[in-house]
Amino acid sequence: MPELASLRKRTQAALCLACGKCSTMCPLSPSGWFSAARLAAIREPETEIAGQTRSLDACLTCGACEQRCPEGVRFVEFVRGVRALAPPVGRRACPHGEMLQAAARLMAGPTAPTRDLGWIGDELEIAETGEVALFVGCLPFFDLLFTDELGIATVDIARAAIRLLNGLGIRPVVLAEERCCGHDLLWNGEPEAFQALAAANAAAFEARGVKKVLTTCAECCSTWRRDYREAAPGYRPEVEHLAEFLAARLAAGELAARDGAAPSTTFQDPCRLGRHLGVTEAPRSVLAALAGGAAPLEMERSGRDADCCGTSGFIHCDANSRRLQSERLAAAAATGAETLVTACPKCLIHFQCAQCEDRRRQRAGNGIAVEDLTVLAARMLVPASTARPTGDA
Amino acid sequence: MSATAGSQARATLTVPGLAAGPFPLREVPPSPCTLACPAGINVKSYVSLVAEGRFAEALEVVRERCPLPGICGRVCHHPCEDACERRPAGGPIAIRALKRFVADLELELPPPEAPDVAPRPERVAIVGSGPAGLAAAWDLARAGFPVTVLEAAAQPGGMLRYGIADYRLPVEVLDYEIDVVRRAGVEIRTGYRVGVDGGLGELLAEGYAAALLAVGAQRGRGLGVPGEEDCPEVEDALAFLRRVNEGDRTPLAGRVVVIGGGSTAIEAARSALRLAAKEVEIVYRRRREEMPADEEEIETAIAEGVAFRFLAAPARIVSEGGRLAGVECLRMELGEPDASGRRRPVPIPGSELFVAADHVFAAVGQEADFGFLPAELAPRLAAGGRLATDPQSTMTPLRGVFAAGDVVTGPATVIEAIAAGHRAAEAIRAFLDGEEPGAARPAAPPPRELEIPSPPPAWAQRRHAATAPIAAGREFDEVERAFSAAEAIAEARRCLRCGPCSECRICAASCGRRHLTIHAGGAGAGSRGWLLRAPERFVASLEAAGAGGACLHRELADELFGDAEAGDQAVALLPTRVAIDEDFCRGCAKCIEVCAFDALSLVDPEAEETTVRLAPARCRGCNLCTAVCPTHALVPTVVAPEWWGVRIEDLYPPLAAAAPGEPRFVVLACQRRAGAVGASLAAAGVAAELVPVRCCGQVDAGMLLEVYRHGAGAVLVAGCPGDACRYGAGADLAARQVERARVLLRNLGGDAGRITADWSPDPEGSLANSGWPHLAVLARGLGARQEGVSDA
Ligand SMILES: Cc1cc2nc3c(=O)[nH]c(=O)nc-3n(C[C@H](O)[C@H](O)[C@H](O)COP(=O)(O)OP(=O)(O)OC[C@H]3O[C@@H](n4cnc5c(N)ncnc54)[C@H](O)[C@@H]3O)c2cc1C
Ligand code: SF4
Ligand code: SF4
Ligand code: SF4
Ligand code: SF4
Repeated sequence: MPELASLRKRTQAALCLACGKCSTMCPLSPSGWFSAARLAAIREPETEIAGQTRSLDACLTCGACEQRCPEGVRFVEFVRGVRALAPPVGRRACPHGEMLQAAARLMAGPTAPTRDLGWIGDELEIAETGEVALFVGCLPFFDLLFTDELGIATVDIARAAIRLLNGLGIRPVVLAEERCCGHDLLWNGEPEAFQALAAANAAAFEARGVKKVLTTCAECCSTWRRDYREAAPGYRPEVEHLAEFLAARLAAGELAARDGAAPSTTFQDPCRLGRHLGVTEAPRSVLAALAGGAAPLEMERSGRDADCCGTSGFIHCDANSRRLQSERLAAAAATGAETLVTACPKCLIHFQCAQCEDRRRQRAGNGIAVEDLTVLAARMLVPASTARPTGDA
Repeated sequence: MSATAGSQARATLTVPGLAAGPFPLREVPPSPCTLACPAGINVKSYVSLVAEGRFAEALEVVRERCPLPGICGRVCHHPCEDACERRPAGGPIAIRALKRFVADLELELPPPEAPDVAPRPERVAIVGSGPAGLAAAWDLARAGFPVTVLEAAAQPGGMLRYGIADYRLPVEVLDYEIDVVRRAGVEIRTGYRVGVDGGLGELLAEGYAAALLAVGAQRGRGLGVPGEEDCPEVEDALAFLRRVNEGDRTPLAGRVVVIGGGSTAIEAARSALRLAAKEVEIVYRRRREEMPADEEEIETAIAEGVAFRFLAAPARIVSEGGRLAGVECLRMELGEPDASGRRRPVPIPGSELFVAADHVFAAVGQEADFGFLPAELAPRLAAGGRLATDPQSTMTPLRGVFAAGDVVTGPATVIEAIAAGHRAAEAIRAFLDGEEPGAARPAAPPPRELEIPSPPPAWAQRRHAATAPIAAGREFDEVERAFSAAEAIAEARRCLRCGPCSECRICAASCGRRHLTIHAGGAGAGSRGWLLRAPERFVASLEAAGAGGACLHRELADELFGDAEAGDQAVALLPTRVAIDEDFCRGCAKCIEVCAFDALSLVDPEAEETTVRLAPARCRGCNLCTAVCPTHALVPTVVAPEWWGVRIEDLYPPLAAAAPGEPRFVVLACQRRAGAVGASLAAAGVAAELVPVRCCGQVDAGMLLEVYRHGAGAVLVAGCPGDACRYGAGADLAARQVERARVLLRNLGGDAGRITADWSPDPEGSLANSGWPHLAVLARGLGARQEGVSDA
């Protein structure tokens, strides 16, 4: 398989010494059956890939292993590449009945989406064209799956973002024809569909004159910032997670913390934001600003060493995922913080899912509050000038 | 009849995703109902067939193990219903009434002809033409033995004729079914009392190679209290019933008191009511809960006006002026359990009470009359009012003489007598074939697990057959009405089809090359389950191909044998249970909430890490849990885990590949309706891709969107409405998924109208017909192709 050979070279997997340092970092190692080193050894025949499908699916692509690899193996890119060469990922790997993947694949087709934007409501303002856009992503679709079950509406995150932007006098562009960013398909091994999504999104945002894409999701952010560079090289908007955007505005004195008690917090670094993009300070500075300057409490492993929330790309949720979630929730509670703050709707969903399970099991569990950073910020921050939005930024 | 329509419907059934891969061949363990039936009637099978409108086949299944379906359909005490898994969920299936329904249909038709069998030379004599004798005669005649039944009474039937009254079992039904037994080659000689008209020894000397004593328990026990002997108004209930059943309808004046708690007591009381008795009261020494009579019979008796006095027993018959005045009774209380496990009634001293009566019928027990036995044999054969037999071989100490029925067990029930008849027939056959008297006892049922605790309240309730009040001048007309066809089908559809398959036999019927055949547990054989079997050479080739024992799909079979015939169809056998992949289970407990059968539980709900476990005996394989499991830790029953290759999602590529660019109309139909849905569409010439799913609750939004994306012009989910779902929540779950898929499609620029669902109520009559014309209209509205029209 020549593709595999060149992948091995490109990602330096060919240099792997099988020293096992990656496994000492990998949060899946305690499972007893997952071995990053073994995956790195996938050399050629298709059978070898097929034999490792389970492990391939299970890898969180969190990148913890890369932190220690002496040979600089870009392991997550390698795994992503092998997934694309592996036989199609079946339903089995996908929790939630593959609904989100199915929707993403449909969006990769020629028909433009006709998203219902009714969730924005009357009191919030968006624009048809403009320089700043909010990339909403899957939030409204998540709610189809999780609102009943977990009692959360992730679309609140997008609403919170628009409220914050409006407060700063910005009416963001929100597109009805916005497609899925393609993160999950890219990481689940469907590069062609991802390519189609990237191209269509780039074209749509470019057509509206967008120069800055804001996201509230770590995965959307890393996808736009890193992967669209390759997939849609012609369009180079600035891409920011809302945490970064808010940090800058706070620093510029445009936003101020509202009077009143902010909860004491600890921060879950999403893999895509922390390790993949290296963004660890911005969210912390936002949280500190909310708390009148007090830095958030830190879990035992945080920043670039943070543990994953248990699943990524909505594949392969399993008993390990549950274990990771419980451990992370415990670590958060151990800091003494009142609220565990996330900057990725998927982290939010996964932690709340674990808590919901405990409730379903009528088990005490770990009841620490889990909240999205943007939602918390919208609750606690007010514009330094109270001027109403007047036009596009 | 409808069977034809059924097979047409099945012919339209294509399962594109199930195009390759072997399926497990498995022994079908019997369902609880079948296990509970003493005669081993395959209850689930015939209930399933009724549900499909295949009535004649249903009756055939009953006859395999019961020559008297119309009789059992009326008077059987139905232990199957006691065992029925639906008992806590809307009540057990009305199995007895369904049996009666199919049996009644046959009354209008010419009786079935006797099968051709190779005749055997050995003659067999059967003494007594009650159910035990008739069942044995039927089995032996069908095995080729010339059988003569010797019956003392003027007409055959035993207690069926002279005990059970006409308003429960009309003579026409009895005559008809005895006639069916006669036609199987059984000679019945009535008016021949063994021991009077000819001795037992003479029978064997006369050239009978074996004899079966099935003489029942004919003699009623007396009350055994003072004053009984010289009072003509105190009578044995059996003698009274015999008179009535012989046609003596002399009215009874005044107040009738019946002593006893069994079916004889109830029968005597209800007959007395019909003979114009002013008041009828049953006096029983235990409580209602302990009455051996059937609960339904007790209820009907109460409804008809029979009064009950519990915890009282006669102590003395009181006569005044040479006429009966009443019974002096003692009140009882329940003490320690006796040998039968029931608490023994103990008289309360000084609690005498007087029960006035103009007639007293004693129904306090029955025993065999051994007068027919030669005096020198009696002590060897009879012990404690029963005939001694070897429980394995059913043979008496007298070589070649067997016994079965009430004479062995003491007064019992019709179906037990039939079962005993079967066993005796098998033992006689073995004896005549020189075999060791076999271990012919059915395997003990597996231990039952917990009851279903809390069934969803919406589940359909059991239907009861209507009853008629006593009508003047027609007092002995049958009380219970038969189900209508629609009622029978609706009731049968409540059946959960416990166990791996519904045993509807579609597979064997449609596997054209007969690779798959069904073997019913033979007469008296140990196995009561059905074995699905492939011929040896077939299995051998499979093993060579590494497939183990399995029935093949057509493609694989063609590859191996190259002998496909047009129209061949192999049918997947669905394993019964979900499988759990524990590595995947998060212990989220979602599955537990959706399972209506309480088959799932967490190993340790309190622990941080735990997994779900399955109580396999309770799992119905409905797959609803697999639809809610977020991690696919639960493997659907479509195929066993080792056959991962064949799942609904494997439909997508074949869908796309089959006709590129051409929109397909895909129907995901509840397995139970798939045939009828297919027939309805086929009848209207609509081209459709029909995918049967175990329960439509198994369909999820991702699946629907994927089918749509793979080129389906439209997707229809066809399932049972609301409480008709036999698994509880199927329709609710599916409706939610359909709605999700539609919302998504609307947001994604697709045509949400092209994913739709149909929850029509079952059509009138048979599910095996094309009863849903609106489906074709719906399909055309969705752009489905018209067969042979737009093909060009
Ligand atoms: C009033 C009544 C109501 C009942 N209701 C029910 C009910 O609702 N449901 C149920 O399941 N069961 C019921 N039973 C019980 C059931 O009828 C018996 O258990 C069953 O009939 C026993 O069958 P058998 O073949 O062993 O004997 P029987 O039915 O008693 O038949 C024995 C036959 O042998 C004949 N015979 C006896 N001696 C000789 C001889 N020397 N020579 C030739 N022939 C002889 C008799 O005449 C009789 O025909 C009822 C019984 C009675 C009495
Ligand atoms: S990317 Fe994360 S889950 Fe995957 S091997 Fe590396 S450390 Fe383990
Ligand atoms: S539900 Fe059906 S298969 Fe199950 S015990 Fe009742 S009748 Fe038998
Ligand atoms: S398949 Fe149905 S019966 Fe079996 S465990 Fe799942 S929900 Fe329960
Ligand atoms: S739904 Fe799935 S993950 Fe949840 S407890 Fe059941 S099997 Fe485990």
